[in-house]
Amino acid sequence: MDSWDVIVIGSGAAGLVAAWHARAAGASVLVVNKSLVGRSGATITSGGGVSVSGRTAIGLGFDANPDDTDELFFADTIRSGSFLSDQRLVAAMVEGVGDELRRLIADGAKVSAPKHAPGHSSGRGVRIPGPSMQRVVTTAALHAGVRFREDFQSTDLLTRDGAVVGVAGLDRRSGVVEALHARAIVIATGGATSNWSLRTAPEELSGDGHAMALAAGAELIEMEMLQFLPCCLVAPDMWRGLQFPWILGPQSGVRAWLLNRYGERFMARWDPERMELATRDIVAAASAAEVFEGRGSPNGGVYLSWAHLPRDIVDNFPQWSRSFSADWRWEGFDMTPLVERIRAGHAIEVAPAAHFSLGGIRVDAEGSTGVPNLYACGEATGGVHGGNRLSGNAGAQVLVQGKAAGRSAAALARGRSGEAAALVDQEQWRSVQARIKAPFERADGIAPFDMKRRLGQLVDAALGAVRDGAGLAKALEELCTISRDDVSRLACRNRDPGWNRDWSDALECVSALPVIESALLSALARKDSLGAHRRHDGKAQPATNVLEHGLISRKADSNALVHRTEPVLHPFLAPA
Amino acid sequence: MKEENATMTMVIHLHRTPGDDTASTYVLPRPEEAGIGASDWSGVSVSSALQYLQRAVDPALAFSLSCRRGLCNVCAMRIDGVVTTACTTPMHDGILIEPARSTLLLRDTVVELSLVRRSRLDAVVATHADERDA
Repeated sequence: MDSWDVIVIGSGAAGLVAAWHARAAGASVLVVNKSLVGRSGATITSGGGVSVSGRTAIGLGFDANPDDTDELFFADTIRSGSFLSDQRLVAAMVEGVGDELRRLIADGAKVSAPKHAPGHSSGRGVRIPGPSMQRVVTTAALHAGVRFREDFQSTDLLTRDGAVVGVAGLDRRSGVVEALHARAIVIATGGATSNWSLRTAPEELSGDGHAMALAAGAELIEMEMLQFLPCCLVAPDMWRGLQFPWILGPQSGVRAWLLNRYGERFMARWDPERMELATRDIVAAASAAEVFEGRGSPNGGVYLSWAHLPRDIVDNFPQWSRSFSADWRWEGFDMTPLVERIRAGHAIEVAPAAHFSLGGIRVDAEGSTGVPNLYACGEATGGVHGGNRLSGNAGAQVLVQGKAAGRSAAALARGRSGEAAALVDQEQWRSVQARIKAPFERADGIAPFDMKRRLGQLVDAALGAVRDGAGLAKALEELCTISRDDVSRLACRNRDPGWNRDWSDALECVSALPVIESALLSALARKDSLGAHRRHDGKAQPATNVLEHGLISRKADSNALVHRTEPVLHPFLAPA
Repeated sequence: MKEENATMTMVIHLHRTPGDDTASTYVLPRPEEAGIGASDWSGVSVSSALQYLQRAVDPALAFSLSCRRGLCNVCAMRIDGVVTTACTTPMHDGILIEPARSTLLLRDTVVELSLVRRSRLDAVVATHADERDA
């Protein structure tokens, strides 16, 4: 085969739903993944909520609230996102999720009845555990005749006359640098959350798709917006990023206390009525502010304490909570040692962890990026959630956007099936190959892991749940220095091309740099606090101000990134 | 948190070539010297220890890691004789780490765990001959 109709990059739910739909529309489809299909990406790690309005849920055969309309679901989503969402994307999500959920159920997904989640005005969160969701979409894509390429790290989109014609990358198994051609490409690479060292997200989400789209001419939107989950463990290393304390405390309604280093219940300054039971964005921002102002714990968090409660509260917890078993297994871990510390009266150090990229590649409701032949879907895209994301809305997003991008890509490709597919010209291919191979061929220089660690520290410090202008400017300066001086010194210590982790790390750093720069530029430009973006040196955005999208693009014929703003349109629901 | 646990010996079988089952033995420093945020090795997963070894001792060491929460199973390996996820298994003195199954071995601790093998393309699919990597 000389060219595929559609190549999908990424194999989480968004990518595999896109692949299924493209295949169902008659396209030849290749799914390319950096690791193993069905064993990587954030879908597996998700709680698996999918939001759907009560009426739509009833249409699917669930017992739900008949007064809950798509309009109410839409309004809750827009309000929670501080009116920053692209309302056309939200409308498409709200209206389209029912059909995709029906297909998922027909494909064998076991879906639990809608439950009420915070922020939603009605019970609309059906649940499919993340691993089950991943299994169902993987099996469906397999049966549909989708083909796969695994352990292929995509790094560059190939273009011809401004249109995308393929993707290049490194086959991690063999160490071969290769070009794959397609009439249409769908980016479904997930968020950019691995660029934070304290995170709930898996290892590989360095923003490769964002970087490739940006380089090809697409725009990124609201890159400063990142959702944090509060009260995650900061230490020891093995448990870093686990949300166990939040579940054993505030999320379950258990009155654990959040304390700073002086033992103050600091939530009194933020939400004196709800205190620790405030919404997760408030608790995350409050905890980060304590650390920012110098009142944190030794490992850069705050304390969560159950010591004022009788021990029975914790001991009896597994009896009434579905989250834990009596032996304190949690996800893959035995949490008994932590529970013993809590029972002995110790506080636990916790901090907000990076969880979900709210910003990303700008797309329309059809999944188009505006770059010819390039589509995107899922967490790699931005604009759906605005400044904050409601529980279950990521599940709805990936299903609806995956379908739209897959169908659009297939329609475009099928419409051109009579024409010969465009191929990358040799000059571009040689320069892309040279760029990918450069770190491998360089024997002396900076070890890729050292740069990765440095970037993680930079991002944690500057782009945490609370930011300030001086810190962002300093980080941007450091990042530009790294891009200018250090990228060209990345070197692999291992001379074997196959399974070369240094090489993979180096390529991930190269992708991460413009993505982090985009987030810093966007965070600097949004001087007031809005949604998940909290400026310590700013104030809450005045309601009278015109809301603006923050957009990043690459200057033509250079690598320089530019930020611009655009007024947010409110075609369906305007701020009151 | 006991001082005597601060350093430990970790025994790893690295199957670099088929049939080679010579054990490579590594002595790890204290976690803080290894740049790992834990007061002793019992708070460090096998995955983080392998990451450290690749970083600091043997750059060629291959391992897989994704979710770090025991959900994706990509880091499955045989630890002290039992196949389990490396990311959720704490380190201890004298630990023995081997590939999950030698017949599936790809490199070091990485074994073939593909769920889509029958629909997978492994060969180089070049669109024209001169595009193939030299």
